[in-house]
Amino acid sequence: MKKLIIALFVLMPALIFAQSPFDKFDGRDGVTAVIVNKKMFQLMGEVKMDPKDKDAQQYLNLIKKLDNLRVFTTSSSKTMAEMKSTVTSYLKNNPLEELMRINDSGRNIRIYVKTGAKASQVRELLMFMEGSGKEESVLMSLTGNFDLSEISVLTDKMNLPGGMELNKAAKKS
Amino acid sequence: MKRNLYILALVATVLVSCNQEPTLQKYYVENSDSKEFITLDIAPNIINTDSLELSADEKKALESLHKFNVLIYKADSIDKSKYTAEKEKVKNLLKTDQYEELMKVNSADGGFSISTKGEGEHIEEFVVFAHQQESGFGVVRVLGEDMTPTNVMTIAGLLQKANLDMKQLKPLQEMMQKK
Repeated sequence: MKKLIIALFVLMPALIFAQSPFDKFDGRDGVTAVIVNKKMFQLMGEVKMDPKDKDAQQYLNLIKKLDNLRVFTTSSSKTMAEMKSTVTSYLKNNPLEELMRINDSGRNIRIYVKTGAKASQVRELLMFMEGSGKEESVLMSLTGNFDLSEISVLTDKMNLPGGMELNKAAKKS
Repeated sequence: MKRNLYILALVATVLVSCNQEPTLQKYYVENSDSKEFITLDIAPNIINTDSLELSADEKKALESLHKFNVLIYKADSIDKSKYTAEKEKVKNLLKTDQYEELMKVNSADGGFSISTKGEGEHIEEFVVFAHQQESGFGVVRVLGEDMTPTNVMTIAGLLQKANLDMKQLKPLQEMMQKK
């Protein structure tokens, strides 16, 4: 019994702060990481903007539906390989649908989604741009509860990596 | 067994409520006399609005702001390990001291993070933590009461319009010159 309680206490932080398997890349040498948490999106969504400005309103509505954004960029070949294997194992454990695969002049871009109740409802969006040689690898994970068609609003305003590819993917579906 | 559980729960509550853990506030105080650190308090009147006519919203936003607390650690080129140690201390404080992290950016030679304390959109404290391997790190605490995101945006707009009272930043300037 005692052991169980101790174990619970030890596990508590891990349970409260749901960690993403990609978080291990944060703070690595040669990795640029950008992490935006739910609270940030909530606060951004609270900012009052001109109600007549339709673009801004659309943007605010979407922001409120987002949970987490993680972007990891690296050009170190060792980390690139690790990133790739992490993505592969993540996809094995979490069934995500492949939305799109682009091979753009030797650069492999894959976009995966986890859909919700409706097919266009996205709970998680994962994009992996595999770099080679001088090109950087980019891994982006966006979680929340939003519609695929709203992605273009995001790529326009937030300057996300692979915005063009994401736009294409959103239009196709 | 049940009684044991009660006792455990009680002990846990006591442990949580009398918080002996180091806080960011304590870190400021502890290091204020240290040579490597510079700490300064900045009053919100650094935003000189005498020449401006403030709207009600702008007034309200300014009133929500109480003070800025700044702490800067100058990286010593000789002692990299101390820089790393102090940086980790601040990072841990931000994790343990009931802060919620809004966002962070990390890259090979530096980065920054923004955290807040407060309930929902009623924010009592913003902490901006920026670090760069070559020059050191800085922590800015923005303390206030009910700083809503809208208020923050209003203040950001005011900063661009208003004059800054540079006298309050003198310690910083002196530090830069010494370098």
